[in-house]
Amino acid sequence: MNPIIRRELLELLRTRKALALQLGLALLCALLVLVRWPTGATADLSGARSLEVLRVFGYGLLAGILLLVPAFPATSLVREKMQGTLALLLNSPMRPWSIYLGKLGGILGFTAILLVMTMPAAAACYALGGTGSSGGILNLYGVLALAAVQLATLGLLVSCRSRSTDGALRGTYALVLVICVLTLGPYELLRGQRGVAAEAASWLRCVSPISALMEVLSQGDLGSHGMATGFSALGRYALLAPIFSLVCAAATITQLNHRLLDRARSAGVMTQDRSLVQRMIRRFMFLIDPQRRSGSMSLWINPVMVKEFRSRRFGRSHWMLRLIAVCAILSLGLSYVAAAGVLGWGVEVIGGALVLLQIALLILFAPSLAAGLISSERESGSWQLLRMTPLAPGVILRGKLLSVAWPLFLLLCATLPGYAAMIAYRPALIYQFQRVVVCLSLTAVFAVLISAAASTLFRSTAAATTASYLTLLAVCLAPLLIWLGREAPFGHSTVQAVLRIDPVAAALQAADAPGFNQYELLPFNWWIIGLTCVALLLFLGVRTWQLYRPE
Amino acid sequence: MGPGEAVVQTKDLTKKYGRIVALDRLTMSVQRGQILGFVGPNGAGKTTTIKILVGLARPTSGSASVAGIDCVKEARKLKRLVGYMPDTFGSYDNMRVGEYLDFFGAAFSIPRRDRMRRISEVLETAGAVSYRDLYVEALSHGMKQRVALARTMLHDPEVLILDEPANGLDPQARIEMRQLLLDLANRGKTLLVTSHILPELARICHRVAIITRGRLRAFGTLDEITHQLIQLRPMEVQLTSAEKIESVADLVRRYIEPGAEVRSSPTEAVVWFRTAKREEELAGLLRALVAADLRVAQFREVQTDLEEAFMTVALSDREDPESASQPIAKAVSTGEAR
Repeated sequence: MNPIIRRELLELLRTRKALALQLGLALLCALLVLVRWPTGATADLSGARSLEVLRVFGYGLLAGILLLVPAFPATSLVREKMQGTLALLLNSPMRPWSIYLGKLGGILGFTAILLVMTMPAAAACYALGGTGSSGGILNLYGVLALAAVQLATLGLLVSCRSRSTDGALRGTYALVLVICVLTLGPYELLRGQRGVAAEAASWLRCVSPISALMEVLSQGDLGSHGMATGFSALGRYALLAPIFSLVCAAATITQLNHRLLDRARSAGVMTQDRSLVQRMIRRFMFLIDPQRRSGSMSLWINPVMVKEFRSRRFGRSHWMLRLIAVCAILSLGLSYVAAAGVLGWGVEVIGGALVLLQIALLILFAPSLAAGLISSERESGSWQLLRMTPLAPGVILRGKLLSVAWPLFLLLCATLPGYAAMIAYRPALIYQFQRVVVCLSLTAVFAVLISAAASTLFRSTAAATTASYLTLLAVCLAPLLIWLGREAPFGHSTVQAVLRIDPVAAALQAADAPGFNQYELLPFNWWIIGLTCVALLLFLGVRTWQLYRPE
Repeated sequence: MGPGEAVVQTKDLTKKYGRIVALDRLTMSVQRGQILGFVGPNGAGKTTTIKILVGLARPTSGSASVAGIDCVKEARKLKRLVGYMPDTFGSYDNMRVGEYLDFFGAAFSIPRRDRMRRISEVLETAGAVSYRDLYVEALSHGMKQRVALARTMLHDPEVLILDEPANGLDPQARIEMRQLLLDLANRGKTLLVTSHILPELARICHRVAIITRGRLRAFGTLDEITHQLIQLRPMEVQLTSAEKIESVADLVRRYIEPGAEVRSSPTEAVVWFRTAKREEELAGLLRALVAADLRVAQFREVQTDLEEAFMTVALSDREDPESASQPIAKAVSTGEAR
C-alpha cells in the first residue's frame, strides 16, 4: 500500500474533528429519515414522499462535499512544502505520481468513509420507494464521487502552486465557487438561444455537479422550468468531470518536482529605481503602485490598520481598486440588462441577482481578510512583538477590524450603482433598497466578526480560515437547503423559522426576490444578526485581551 | 540610576505551569552597562525568565524589575524601557524592511521625522542598510537576525534582551555582532543575551548566569564561575616521548587523590589528570617527575572555559537530578547585587 495514503488517512481519522464529523453526519442522516418515515396506515405509491427526502439529502450531501472536501487537499501539499517535508518526499525513491496518488488517495479515502456513512439513509430513501426509476441513488452517489474527485484534484493543484495554507484555501474555495456556480451563469443567460455560444454555455455548465444532480433528483435542468432540454447533463458531467480531474492531476504531477522548491522569492525592485517609461506604464496599470516606496506612517492613523493594508497582498490598494471597478461594472451591467429588458427578467430577479452577487463577495472576502487577523500573528510569532509595543489591545483590535471594514465597505459601495440605476428606473424601489442595504451591512459586519472571532480561537490561519468559511456557509447556505424543501418535506412555518437566522434569505426577502417574498423574515433577522454581532464583538474583545495579557 | 547600579533584578522569581516548576526562586541582577550571558540547556527556564522580564508572562511568586519598574505591576511602562529580540523573527508578508521598521516605530509613537532618522541609524548600526527596500520574507536567516536587532534598538531602549542573536549568522557577521553588543554596553545599555555558542558569549559577557531546571546554578564573572565550579583543576604533563608514559601516569596516580581521573595518550605523549591539590603540593609532584627522569617537557594547568563550566553543571545535573536544587558554585550562590 502507498505509504502516503496510509499516513494521510490515519492522520485525518485520528483527529477529533473527523470523529465529530462522522458522528454528526450519521446523526443528521438518521434524523432526516426519522422525520419523513411514514407513520400512518397509508402507503405513498407514487414515491413523491421519498423523492422529497432524497432531494434534501442529495443537495445536503453535495453542499457538504463542496464545503468540506476542498479544505483537505488545499492545505495538503502547501503544508508539506512549508514544513519542509515535501523536500524529503521528493528526495525519497517515490515518484511524483506516487506521491500525488498517495495524497489523493488519502483524501478520497476519507471522503469515501463519510459517503459510506450516509448510505443507510440513502437505503431508507430507496425503501420508501420511488427513487429507483431515474437511476436514483446509484446516480446520486456517482455524481457525488465524481464531484469529490474533481474538487480534490483541483485543491491539490492550487495547493501545489500556493505559498501559504490560507492562500491555498482562499484560492481553492474561490475556484470551487467559479466551477460549481459561476459556470451556470452563461447558460442561464443564453437559455433558449441557438448558436455556438449557447452550445458552449450548455457544455460549460456541465462542468458543475449541480446540473447533473438536478437531473438525478428529477428536477430537470437549471432554468428549464420543467421542460425537457434534449440532452443529458448527467452524461456530459460524467464525461467532463473525469477530463477536468485528469487535467488538474497532470498539471499538478508535472509541477511536483524539485523546481517547486527552487524558486527565489522576488526581492522586488522599487518603482523609484525603474526607468521613466516603466514608471509611466506602472502608473497606468496600477494607479496606486504597490512597488513604490511608501511613506512613513502618520501617528494620527492606527498603525496596525496601515500595517494590515501593507502586509496583505489583497489589502494593497491596486487590488482593491481593480475589484471595486469589476463590481461596479457588474452591478451596472445587471441594472442595464433589467432596464433594457434584454432577458425579460423582472426587477425583482435582477435585484435578487445583485443581492446574491454582493453576498457571494462578502462570504468570499470577509473570511479571507479577517480569518488571519490574529491567527496569522500568532502563527508567525509576531503577536509577541505586538504585545511588546505600547499599543493597547483595544487599539490593536480596532486597527485590525478597520483594515477589514474599509475594503468591504468599498466593495459594497461599488455594487450600489446597480441599485441606483434601478431606483432611477423605478423610484418606488427606494424603500426596498434601504432594507437591502441594512441587510447587507449587517451581513458584512456578521461575516467580519465571525471570521475575526475564529482568528482568535486558532493558532493556524488555515484552520481559522476553514472554520470561518464553514461557519459562514453553514449560517448562510444551510437554511437555503431547508428552503429548497419548502412545502415538502418542510412546512411554511419550519422554513420561515429557519430562514430567520439566515442573512442571505433576509436580504433576498428585502429585495422581494421570487420564492422569498412569502416569508416574514424582517425585522426578526436584523435583531438576531444584530444581537449576534454584539455578542461576537464582546467575545472578540475578551479573547484579544486574554491573548494580549501576560501568560 | 547611576553606573554600577542594578538595572535588571529578580528576587525569588518562581513560575509554575500546573505542577511543572519552570522557574524556582531565581535571584539575580545585572548592572548598568553590563552584558549578562544567560546560559542553560533547552527547557532550563531561560525563555520563561526573559518573558517575565519583558512583561509577557507573570511570575507565580517573587518579583522582577527593570530600571526600577516592576515587571508585573507596570508592564506598560516597561515596554519603552526594554527591547526584546525573541528567537523567532515574526515577519509580515509583502512588507519591505523599511515599512516593517516604520510600523514598529509608529507603534512606539516615534514622531515621523525622528522615525526616519532612527530607522537609518539602527539599520546602519545593525549593518542592514542595504536591506531597506527588500521584502522581509525574502531575507536569509542571518539577514533577518540583523533586521530583528535593528527593530529591537529602534525605540532606543535602556535594556536589550536578546535571545540567540548570533544564531544563523556567518563568521564575519558574528564578529560584527559581538563588536556591536560591546559597543551597546559601552554606550550604557544593559544587555541580557542567551546563546548556545558559549565561546562567543564568553568573549563579550561581563557576567554569566547558568540555569538548569529552573534554578540558578552559578552566577558571576567567567573566572569566578570556572574557579568555583571546576574545583578539580585540570592538569597536563607533556613528555618529550611516550616511552615512559605509563610510569608517569603511575606516579601521578600515587601522588594525587585516590580514585581521581588520570588519562594518558601515548600518541600525543601527554598525561592529563584532575586534582584539588594546591600549587605547593603540585610542585612536589613536578619535582618527583623530574627526579625520576621521566622526560617531562611541560607541566601546566589547562585553561578552563565557559563550555567546560557549563558541561560541569549539565553533567552533574544529569547524573544527579537532585543536585539541581542546589547552587553548584557555593561562593557565588545567587546573583544578588554584590
